[in-house]
Amino acid sequence: MPEDIAAALASRFGESVSDLILGERSILFKAEKDAFHEALSLLKTLGFEHLSDVSVVDYMSEGEFEVVYHLWSHARKERATQKVRIPRESPAIDSVVDLWPGAQIHEREAHELFGIRFEGNPDLSPLFLEDWKEIPPFRKDFDTRAYVKKRYEADE
Amino acid sequence: MNNPEEKEITFVMPFGPQHPASGHFNAMITCAGENVVDLKAYPGYLHRGFEKLMEYRTHVQNTMLSDRVCILDPFSNEMAYVHAAEISSGVEAPERAKYIRAIMAELGRILSHLTWIGIMSSALGLESGAKIAWGDREKIIRLNEVITGGRLYPCYFMPGGVRDDITGDMAGEISRVLDTLEDKGKLYDDFVFFNTTFTTRTNGIGVINAEDAVALGATGPTLRATGMGSDVRKDEPYDAYPCVDLEIVTMEKGDAYSRSMVRRGEIAASISLIRQLLQKMPAGDFKVKWPMTKKVPPGETYFCCEAARGELCFHMVSDGTDKPYRVKIRGPSFSLALAVFPYLSRGVQIADIPAIYWSLDPCPADMDR
Repeated sequence: MPEDIAAALASRFGESVSDLILGERSILFKAEKDAFHEALSLLKTLGFEHLSDVSVVDYMSEGEFEVVYHLWSHARKERATQKVRIPRESPAIDSVVDLWPGAQIHEREAHELFGIRFEGNPDLSPLFLEDWKEIPPFRKDFDTRAYVKKRYEADE
Repeated sequence: MNNPEEKEITFVMPFGPQHPASGHFNAMITCAGENVVDLKAYPGYLHRGFEKLMEYRTHVQNTMLSDRVCILDPFSNEMAYVHAAEISSGVEAPERAKYIRAIMAELGRILSHLTWIGIMSSALGLESGAKIAWGDREKIIRLNEVITGGRLYPCYFMPGGVRDDITGDMAGEISRVLDTLEDKGKLYDDFVFFNTTFTTRTNGIGVINAEDAVALGATGPTLRATGMGSDVRKDEPYDAYPCVDLEIVTMEKGDAYSRSMVRRGEIAASISLIRQLLQKMPAGDFKVKWPMTKKVPPGETYFCCEAARGELCFHMVSDGTDKPYRVKIRGPSFSLALAVFPYLSRGVQIADIPAIYWSLDPCPADMDR
């Protein structure tokens, strides 16, 4: 169990880290926005050298995006998940490219599909969509079915 | 010719998106003469937005969508999806279903690696290797049809088990196909893996060390070719994998040849795994009841399995309804093609680009989703 990580997080960040859930070989917690980068940095020095994924969840009714960092440690054989909430209005968050170069493309995707700006990411140009003019399509207020209907009935 | 006036010409050349070169994937290569100065990847030709589509459908319907994330490796995607759904709702599949899933996932791995042998040989100009491999691939596709009813998109794993049982002579049929593949090992060695064309065009090409591979998010055979014995089946065993003797194939050099040899070893390892699984497979139920519109309690899950290309994970958030609130797929090809491939391409000769690209075995369907 990654109890040492929980202890290290608690002693360094105190109340900025909350909702900690310890599993057999996993740890999951929420971090405040001002502490999230340092917390990730600490996790990296503790051995979580593989950034598996950066995932975004749109909690529209709460007016927030949740950015979820999924980490894996090859040495410890453990998973760590860190969540951070940011406001849905003009969402922006620091990039973690400085910690994991592989984060560049994950953040680029999140920028395209949710419209989150990652400060410090060198290239946030679109990956998948060509000439996209609507709101970012993976947000909850984007209705895929209505869009498809509008887009393809207009073509007929 | 020695002309002092002649300057080195820099030009930009496309790699793909025509299918035979790269799959549905495009890269723009900036070259100075024969040397690659820079490479920029442009995916998106297969973007279907599955993660969003899944928010509109129930878990049973989504299993069918998860297949389509990567046509070359459908069982792994099903595996990750049904596990994420099962963990979210606290359901456990029966023992027999776990064995059937592992057997099909390993068959899927062989299927994917055989497809790769074909594409890789073709990219290097070894057309005979391509024909042999794709011929044998057909044997597994027919096996898929016999067992699941579908050739390429099986839709076979369901939350709570599998759709149908392995009955009658199906197990015998699997064994016979495995025997044939094993007998063909020497043929593949002669035509592909120890063929001079293959070895000279892959040896020492596209070398990456373990540290860089991890930093860029590489997993699977690409990471194992750098000497790291990382495999989700061993690190976080799921289904029937804890009950069998699993061999992790690793190589040391981290070049295109090592990556190829890892896959060669994995075909043999998977054959041995399936034999063990068939032998130990218990009798009993092959599924538990999972209603079409079963509600899943609120919560979230991150489940990873070892696909043919590496770590494949589904992040699933549920809000108490019968549909997922959010699904995020972490496909192994995403990092391989968009981070590792540009990194390996800078400074190589332009003729090495296909060898490097296909040695990573990226699947454009999986990187775009």
